[in-house]
Amino acid sequence: MSETVNLTIDGKALSVPKGTNLIEAAKKLGILIPHYCYHPDLSIAGNCRMCQVAVKGAPKLTIACNTQVTEGMEVATNSKEVKDAQSATLEFILINHPLDCTVCDQAGHCKLQDYHFEYNAKPSRFLEEKEHKPKAVPLGPTVMLDGERCIMCTRCIRFCDEVTKTSELGMLNRGDRSVISINPGRELDNPLSGSVVDLCPVGALTHRNWRFNSRIWFTKQVDSVCPGCSTGCNVKVAVRDKQVVQVKARYNSNVNKEWLCDEGRYGFHRFLPETRVLEPLINGKVASLDEALTKASKMFDDKTAIFLSPDLLFEEFSLISKFIETLPVKPFTCVQYKKRELSEVEKILVSPDYAANFKSAQNFGLASEDPSTQYIEGIAKLKEGSFSSVWIIGDRGIEEVEGISLPVNSVGFFTNAENNLKPGIVLPARSILEKSGLYLNKDLRLQFIDRLIDFPSNTEPEWRLINKIAEKRGKKLTDAQSDRDLTLSVLNPEISIFTLKEQGGVRI
Amino acid sequence: MSKKILLKNVHNQGQATFDGYVNSGGLLGLKKALKKDPKEVIEEVKNSGLRGRGGAGFPTGVKWGFVPRDTGKPVYLICNADESEPGTFKDRVIMERDPFLMIEGMIIAAYALGSSLSFIYVRGEYSYPYIKTLEAIKEAYSKGMLGKNILGSNFSHEMVLHRGAGAYICGEETGLINSLEGKKGQPRIKPPFPAVKGLYGCPTCVNNVETLAVLPFIFSEGWEAYAALGTEKSKGTKLISASGHINKPGVYEIELGYPLKEFLEVECGGVWKGRKLKAVIPGGSSVPVLRADEIEKVNLDYESLRDAGTMLGSGGFIVLDETADMVEVARNLAHFYAHESCGQCTPCREGGHWVEKVFTRISKGRGVPGDMELVDSMCSQIAGHTICPFGDALVTPAQSLMKKFPEEFKDRILNGSKSTNPLNYELGH
Repeated sequence: MSETVNLTIDGKALSVPKGTNLIEAAKKLGILIPHYCYHPDLSIAGNCRMCQVAVKGAPKLTIACNTQVTEGMEVATNSKEVKDAQSATLEFILINHPLDCTVCDQAGHCKLQDYHFEYNAKPSRFLEEKEHKPKAVPLGPTVMLDGERCIMCTRCIRFCDEVTKTSELGMLNRGDRSVISINPGRELDNPLSGSVVDLCPVGALTHRNWRFNSRIWFTKQVDSVCPGCSTGCNVKVAVRDKQVVQVKARYNSNVNKEWLCDEGRYGFHRFLPETRVLEPLINGKVASLDEALTKASKMFDDKTAIFLSPDLLFEEFSLISKFIETLPVKPFTCVQYKKRELSEVEKILVSPDYAANFKSAQNFGLASEDPSTQYIEGIAKLKEGSFSSVWIIGDRGIEEVEGISLPVNSVGFFTNAENNLKPGIVLPARSILEKSGLYLNKDLRLQFIDRLIDFPSNTEPEWRLINKIAEKRGKKLTDAQSDRDLTLSVLNPEISIFTLKEQGGVRI
Repeated sequence: MSKKILLKNVHNQGQATFDGYVNSGGLLGLKKALKKDPKEVIEEVKNSGLRGRGGAGFPTGVKWGFVPRDTGKPVYLICNADESEPGTFKDRVIMERDPFLMIEGMIIAAYALGSSLSFIYVRGEYSYPYIKTLEAIKEAYSKGMLGKNILGSNFSHEMVLHRGAGAYICGEETGLINSLEGKKGQPRIKPPFPAVKGLYGCPTCVNNVETLAVLPFIFSEGWEAYAALGTEKSKGTKLISASGHINKPGVYEIELGYPLKEFLEVECGGVWKGRKLKAVIPGGSSVPVLRADEIEKVNLDYESLRDAGTMLGSGGFIVLDETADMVEVARNLAHFYAHESCGQCTPCREGGHWVEKVFTRISKGRGVPGDMELVDSMCSQIAGHTICPFGDALVTPAQSLMKKFPEEFKDRILNGSKSTNPLNYELGH
């Protein structure tokens, strides 16, 4: 593939690897060739006809998605002929479209709206009665179909055929009666089913549990990373009123392409407990933060154990490892890690764990190469009563509560007020959705996870609590005032947060 | 009338049986072809000037030359018997009356292509041709014409008969291949072409029934005998299925280059009921229409019809007399194409129905000024903008009828419906 081909697109010269198609080649020049059915990780269908371009010497327009670059090719993406074809394609697509943008969840991030505005923007000449098709058809537990909005790009069908290989979907009928349908006796219930909604360029497929819950322009959309497992799928999360309104996959060819598992997508709420720890507690009674921290800072002895939640930040693991160096006796540390059985479809994307950032813990020597065994050992020792001082950093530091009784000297950095573990000191921490920082995925790709939701006042990020405890013990660890300061303090100066976000992370 | 190659024996008693076929001189071509080198067979077909009779008129020998034989994959031959173009019913005669001619032709083609398995894809509605072909294939197996070591040669070949489900688009070769594979009959994007990646991803050659049925003659009588027929560029004979307002509808075999007017007057017995001719659609419903005043100097061959602005196509010769309502013709054809669009590409899926709806409105007297321009602009955006040539097939009758008979459309738009058509078609599927 090292062979390159020289061509010009709209008069601009470029060279790209042999085998590149014109949509991808044009992207390198910053030229968008509009398309609906084309997706870089699905087979070429060539049916939407939106990506037609003029290639010099060809008798008629050609579709950019199915045209590979050739030496000396001259491509025009904005000739009159091309513009007319784009405009006509949109007119054709819209004649039977219900134009119900006022109640459509896709409105505001819809390729039909965007392209029509950009490439047609003319009133329709269609005077006839529109075709009617089934609406609000549940395809499975997660996805709802509106047949009239569908433009028959078949991305959803190809996803189920080619990626999950579960083939739940197909196309029924012919001509403008065509409609997407689930195959007889089936249900769209594979573990990645929600991805078809992301792939749908229009509002035909919507999430059943997020339908009609907000206009997208009233939400804040944040690029982040899913904290569900160590794959670290890139996501775009729409948030409104401290609630996650919608989660979309964000394209990253190195991590998740544009797929996302249902467990991750629909599971963001599990990182936001309903009742929060909002004040420090000493033996169940409200105390001041200073008092609690002073008391906690004295709770280190030669039989200390630190149980770490796997969704702490890279920076926090870094700080904790520095902190441990200041202690007279090195405590036992482990990260909560449970192996997980995966189905064949889940294996496409999901990692066999629920520990999104355990690689960071390993990176700083806080977890062994076999975190699962280490965690089981830690819990066993705890049950034996081998530890006289126990620290649980993050709600998910310990998940099993059966048969565990914490020693008097125990501290928990919690967000969930209903956590069944009752340490002597409880400090009000923050959820991963309320912090920003770095995550290291299973392939050692460092990615930026952004803050989605504003934190409640009186809570502190785990790293600041640790820093304050260290300060009480006479050795401040960092001067960082915010998550961002702390992130910059651990990053190599050549890497900015912006580059991390733009490049979809870097491998370390 | 000229020399008959394909229809020579169709009236013979027992022609559809193996013995009847052999008695009428069958298998001679196959025996001669099997003694030649496959390359020589391809060369002779090229020399004969035989062109695809399904509609496109592409030289058959050249098409065979595109099929690679050294890929390590099997080569498949498909006989396209999905004859579905309105006005076309020529292949049916061969399948019903002389099926061994087609089978023999297929074996010759398969030998030339190095194919050991071929398929006949029969149109779903063709139940009688299907039965006759099935009987013929069974008999061919029992008589050693198919199977291992055909006629004692080293060449072995198997044949599968497949009946379609009745979709026009399955006559398009990649739609046919998808349907044969058990998928929805939707054409594939090209490249890759079927010659390289066709049925089950293997090199595949798709030929029309009539094309294949010519091969026995080319090898029994020699390619020179075939090339001697017809015009310089349109060699041989062609089956024409004549229908419409004529006295003697039916399937005729003519030597290419035969004058259209003479064909209409002599073979077809002229326009019926003593009426005047209004128009001729010479090559199946998807070719441009010719007005009565345009047919004087036209001959039935590829070049002459092309020069007249139309095509020989599949040879579906449709005659319309002076009473024909051209708006209704346009509506009827638009309905057919809208119904048969596979639904893949946007312009054809949506535009096809839009054309139908506008024509329906005009024919019911509810047209508005600007409708003709609207249809014309739609058509120019459908043609050439789709995966397969169906888009072009759909717009050709619409555009050519409006171009050739504009006053009828204008009149209907301005003055409303005066149609005496008793069938007040409602739009529907």
